[in-house]
Amino acid sequence: MKRIKILGIAFVFFLAVSCNKFVDYNAQQDYIVTTADYFKTASDYQSLLVGCYTPLQWMWNVPMIGDIASDNAMCGGESATDDVGLQQIHNFQIVPNNSVLAEIWTDCYEGINRVNYLYQNNGVLNFTGKDELYGESYFLRSYYYFELVKHFGDVPLFTDHKLTVSDSKQMKRSPKASVYKQIELDLSNAIATLPKIQTYKGRATLYSAEALLGKVYLYENKFDSAAAVLERIINSSAFTLTPNLADVFLKTGENGSESLFEVQYTNLDNQHDYGTVNFQRSQGNMMVQYCGIRKIAGTGIPFAGGGYSFDLPTKELENQFSATDTRKNAAILDVAAYAAANPSLGISYTDAPYQNTGLYNQKYQPRIGETSSAGVTQLNYLNNYRVIRYADILLMAAEANNRATTPNDTKAQTYLNMVRQRAYGDSSHATTATGTSLTHAIWNERRLELAMEGDRFFDLVRTGQAASKISGFVVGRNEVFPIPQQEIDISGLTQNPGY
Amino acid sequence: MKLKVKLLFISIFWCSLLLRVVAQTNIVVTGSVKNKATGEVLVGASVVNEKTHKSTVTNESGNFSISVEKGATLTISFVGMSTIKYKVNIAGSTSILLEEEIKKSDEVIVIGYGTQKVTRVSGAISTVKAADIEKLKPVRAEDALQGRASGVEVISAGSPGAKPTVFIRGIPSYKGSDPLVVVDGTIETLDDLNSINSADIESINVLKDAATTAIYGVSGGNGVILVTTKGGRKNKKAEFNYSSNYGIQEVARKLPVLNATEYGAIVNEGLLVDGNSIAFSDLSKLGVGTNWQDQIFKNAPLQSHSITARGGGESVTYFVSGAYTGQAGIVGGGDKSYFDRYNATTNLTFDLTPKLKLFTNTSFVNIRGAGVPENAINSVISNAINFDPTVPIYNNVLGTVGKYSTSNNIISEIVNPLTQLENTYNKSNTNKIYGKIEFQYNILKNLKITSRYGYTDVDITNKSFSPLVYYGSNHTSSTLNADGTSNGKGHNAVAYDKDNYYNYSLETFANYTFKIAGDNQFEVLAGISEAKKTGNVVSASRQDVPNNSWDWADFTAATGNASNGGVGGGEYRFEKRNVSYFGRVNYDYKEKYLASLSLRRDGSYEFGVNNKFGTFYATSLGWVISSENFYKLKIVDYLKIRGSYGVTGNDNIDHPQYLQIYTGIYEYSAGNNTGYVFSGSPVNGSTLSTFANNTLKWEQQKQTNIGFDARFLKNKLSVTADYFERDISGLLFTPQLSLYLGTSAAPFANVGTTKTTGLDLSVNYAEPINKDLKISSSLTFTTSKNLVTETSNGYIQGGSYGIPTTYFVTRYEKGRPPGYFYGYKTKGIFQNQDEINKSPSQPNAQPGDIEYVDVNGNGKIDDSDRTMIGNPFPKFTFGWDISLEYKSFDFNVYIYASYGNDIYRAYERNLAFTNKYRGILSRWTGLGTTNNPKSPRVTFADPNINTRASDRYIEDGSFIKIKDIQLGYTIPSSLYKYKVFNKIRVYAQVKNALTLTKYSGLDPEIAGGIFDSGVDRGEYPQARIYSMGIDCKF
Repeated sequence: MKRIKILGIAFVFFLAVSCNKFVDYNAQQDYIVTTADYFKTASDYQSLLVGCYTPLQWMWNVPMIGDIASDNAMCGGESATDDVGLQQIHNFQIVPNNSVLAEIWTDCYEGINRVNYLYQNNGVLNFTGKDELYGESYFLRSYYYFELVKHFGDVPLFTDHKLTVSDSKQMKRSPKASVYKQIELDLSNAIATLPKIQTYKGRATLYSAEALLGKVYLYENKFDSAAAVLERIINSSAFTLTPNLADVFLKTGENGSESLFEVQYTNLDNQHDYGTVNFQRSQGNMMVQYCGIRKIAGTGIPFAGGGYSFDLPTKELENQFSATDTRKNAAILDVAAYAAANPSLGISYTDAPYQNTGLYNQKYQPRIGETSSAGVTQLNYLNNYRVIRYADILLMAAEANNRATTPNDTKAQTYLNMVRQRAYGDSSHATTATGTSLTHAIWNERRLELAMEGDRFFDLVRTGQAASKISGFVVGRNEVFPIPQQEIDISGLTQNPGY
Repeated sequence: MKLKVKLLFISIFWCSLLLRVVAQTNIVVTGSVKNKATGEVLVGASVVNEKTHKSTVTNESGNFSISVEKGATLTISFVGMSTIKYKVNIAGSTSILLEEEIKKSDEVIVIGYGTQKVTRVSGAISTVKAADIEKLKPVRAEDALQGRASGVEVISAGSPGAKPTVFIRGIPSYKGSDPLVVVDGTIETLDDLNSINSADIESINVLKDAATTAIYGVSGGNGVILVTTKGGRKNKKAEFNYSSNYGIQEVARKLPVLNATEYGAIVNEGLLVDGNSIAFSDLSKLGVGTNWQDQIFKNAPLQSHSITARGGGESVTYFVSGAYTGQAGIVGGGDKSYFDRYNATTNLTFDLTPKLKLFTNTSFVNIRGAGVPENAINSVISNAINFDPTVPIYNNVLGTVGKYSTSNNIISEIVNPLTQLENTYNKSNTNKIYGKIEFQYNILKNLKITSRYGYTDVDITNKSFSPLVYYGSNHTSSTLNADGTSNGKGHNAVAYDKDNYYNYSLETFANYTFKIAGDNQFEVLAGISEAKKTGNVVSASRQDVPNNSWDWADFTAATGNASNGGVGGGEYRFEKRNVSYFGRVNYDYKEKYLASLSLRRDGSYEFGVNNKFGTFYATSLGWVISSENFYKLKIVDYLKIRGSYGVTGNDNIDHPQYLQIYTGIYEYSAGNNTGYVFSGSPVNGSTLSTFANNTLKWEQQKQTNIGFDARFLKNKLSVTADYFERDISGLLFTPQLSLYLGTSAAPFANVGTTKTTGLDLSVNYAEPINKDLKISSSLTFTTSKNLVTETSNGYIQGGSYGIPTTYFVTRYEKGRPPGYFYGYKTKGIFQNQDEINKSPSQPNAQPGDIEYVDVNGNGKIDDSDRTMIGNPFPKFTFGWDISLEYKSFDFNVYIYASYGNDIYRAYERNLAFTNKYRGILSRWTGLGTTNNPKSPRVTFADPNINTRASDRYIEDGSFIKIKDIQLGYTIPSSLYKYKVFNKIRVYAQVKNALTLTKYSGLDPEIAGGIFDSGVDRGEYPQARIYSMGIDCKF
């Protein structure tokens, strides 16, 4: 009897020990790939790096904001309530509960977390090409932080790991200066490892990193540093201005000789659902759809119909271009004039129902054949967002030299005139201005050269001209946008002044 | 099958006769056994020789004859009577008088992992006994609980074999409300109750408070239904029970809709209002037209037949049963919807050694079924309500295919319900085997170790065929042309799925009983349990079935090919594992002071890694005041007060936590984009796409219970009442995470809370007025008040109903009862433009439109004015059973009532040409005609959206139903020649005889879980059933 008792007790004890494992879960049994299966090969790292690029595509609102928040463009759309987030940005009646800004905020942080996830797993495996791979990731992290600091000023700064649920509500905003310091650090690390040429177009190169660093320095008013890094690009002779600016924005102009960095889009993924969660985070550039002319049709015209008529250039912008400046038609499409000039095409269209200027963003017009026929038309435009191109490098280098501790206006003129030469097709429009008037000439040139590319608002803020150029702009408030209200409510972050 | 079963039992019967060996006789004793009180002869009383275990039973005259050795002791027993012993000294005749057992003190009740004397119970348990279940013969066992078990709310379903909604003590969580079901110790689910033969059930005990459910820990949160099936009896010869019941089901009421003339007039009016020309120029031609409800509802049979045998010898006892239940559907009749169930059960007990017992319970069930589209806007009933009343039943248009008519007016969604029925093809076949293998080892007299393996294995095969159909020449759902050729808009298809579910539990526990210092009685339990549930589903489908015919609906015969999506397939699986340790101490002192303490530690596969195990516990105290010496209260014969407190749980977490690396370009379901573009080509990328909540755990339910049991009037009247309070925390919600965490999916977190309070009351009364007349009655009252107290600023949205614009009508949200109806409040009807101008801004409103309430007072009617407009769950339910027995007659009426449950009418399609609920006849037609917001003007353009989700569609669904009326007659044994039978009872029964309700629809009982209950989208009504039956014992 005793033996049985003892056996019984032993049996129960054995069960107790073995049973606890019974409730452990291994996702592999459900064929789910988890972190446990990862960081085994170089391709795991490569694949995660691709994911770090992805949020770039989601921020298609950014290039529109740069113009509609400035004197360059009206918001447009169907009505005053069509995409309220953008309308508010145009009107400078921005409330913190702005879905467009919340999306940008979230997208940037998703990108940062993805890079951080690579960063925290740096030590797991060594493989060839690892340094370059990490260089790309640092470039991307600096890109995301730069967007954040441009839009929001002081923002939470973290670089050592992908945040987890327990980090929710724990972060505080870091001063802008610290964020810029991190951006500079990431970009120097990127510059140290990135190749000059990437096999696959779209990947960040050494020059992409230098270009971004040049821009960052400019935003920090570090003109000496900016001039140095930008001239490295110019002196490399790796880039040339495309003879005809308009060609840069055609399909054939993508990733061309003038391109330092572009956000890549495609029409080959056939995004086909217009109602699922985050449909707007697709592989197509939805900004192009936003900029399109409503119901335009005509025989053999290049433009696709069914646009949403956002981001409408102002007459004031149009009037800035002199008659012989080829950049006007590269940036602005006057649809009525276009129809009148081509009566044989039988062009018809619907006027923009709200804030109509008759003008459209020519650089990002939806064109026939550039979206997917299998997916939803609106979601699949292949047009890359030209983030930094060589003309911008030249103008930034001009400004940096002009505003350097020891100004070099000769260099500044040279760079500026390279841009003007292409714009007018001759050297007769070369500038001879110096000093402050050269500074203003460069700023004005930036407006013309980069019109409708999303640069204007941030340039105006950077150069302190915003209040004088933008109606509704309040100094001390509108230099940055409000922190998204959800982040105030959930995370307890402080709001920017005035919001 | 039925015949086979019968033959089987007849052969078993003969075998048992042959096996009986006539012993050598010493002396022969004869005698009669009678009821001492009534003098009634007792047929089938057992007479056993204690020493040799030879036995006999009394015959139809109550007499027995047995040969025994001199000096032997006979044990004479009869169910419900006290057993007596009779010592045989001389041969001859004797008369035995048995007394009815009125002492309830020996009654034992089944609890978790054991049994307990009723007098020692200090928790809250409701019990339904075999007698009630045998009388009711429910297709599903839950129906026996409705109104009979206090604290249990059952919303029955009308469709054959369909699962009802069951709540024990309110609605604690939105994550599933099904109680745990335990059949003879085997862990099952509420779904499994579709397969238990009601004749097999000995009792159903519902464990309600924490004291009784905590022993089931994380599975016990929603209450526990313990089903005990019948077992064999030692040293009893076989007792057979045969019962057979046949009934006809009919629809009890139809929804009032417009007849053809009224319909024509309303359609014309609406068209004119919207500025169109009328459609019916001569209303007088229309007549009453066709009421499609008359066409789809059929009288359909319901039958059940079962035979059971129980008995046993010295070391083996058995209970075996076979049964057939067949229920045809009243919608469309038995061709298209039915539930056929075949049961075979074998419960065996073996005394392997004097101390070791083996129990094997094995049940095999085969269920065959078919169904029609139900409770949706394009269900058969909804089509019958909405379809054009002006067209004839049959197709009279020359040159068009189809047996039934089509409408030229209704050209989308709504179709002729008869055409729909004719083209509905599906069938399912379920094979299920469940049961247990259990060893009990009595180490000591008072120490028993039980080890059991309980299992349920279910295999389901479903097949359906969707043919090409002609619904009318312009109908958007037509896939055939008028001449019967394909119009190219679709393919027919055959679809299959094969599902396997396998659940097991392996449990070992010890029960130890001992006394300290005389009267301090302890019952101790300790055990361990391991349980696993798995599901595997494989599906396949293929288009282009030859001949557009069910006869050719086969995967191989079909010709669709994969390249154009003509072949489909899928696979799905799930698993759930639990491991648990549990223990309990029950204590009592002279059955006067009672206490219990139970503890369970549960580990679940679903919990986060940092919270793999949860501990649950409960304690209870009881005091039988009437046993005290000082107790002098004469009118109360017995009084026990009870109290308990404890913590249980709920582990309905859909999936364990993991950190997934998603690789791809674009994941539609999550919107998780990870691809990018290099050199113009999309490339796959990866990301860590989920967060894991490593602290994810169970919902925690704290429950306090206080109650009493009292008996009055010499124990004829008994009352049990319990008040409870449940505080639930840790309900799963998706918390709002900081945006800077990025876009990885936020995991569930334990953030929600709810509170439920309620009262369960049951009253029983039984009185033998005299020798011939007995009265008994029982009453239950169940109420619960549920409130969601925290949802982390979120809410769970239920079903989307209402047409043409769909709205999420039900919600689970902080500060509201669970699953409440959500929408606009109506105020009245705008009588003129002036009223519109003076009211909060309501764009597009015109005189005759509904005026809504500006709930938030912002001066305009907008989405934020939506609020609570109703509650689908009753304030209380009530069951009342009255039984009379007079001589050989018995009569029983059973009434069930539900108060305060609202219904949302969502069955109207609201197209211009769809038929309408008759309420439209009292519509607004001009200034002052009506201010009832349920009756706005007729407009099909509906610029004000009068059809938006509002209290316009809410009706009071309170009801009183006479659920059962039964008149039985037990044929006196003197009246039948064949002495085979011990008892024959014949009866006539009407189920769902009468419903008293203000609800205008088919049936105010609308089952559907937390988010769909009470939403009438054309609910399959419960049938009224007239039946006859016979119960025999032999």
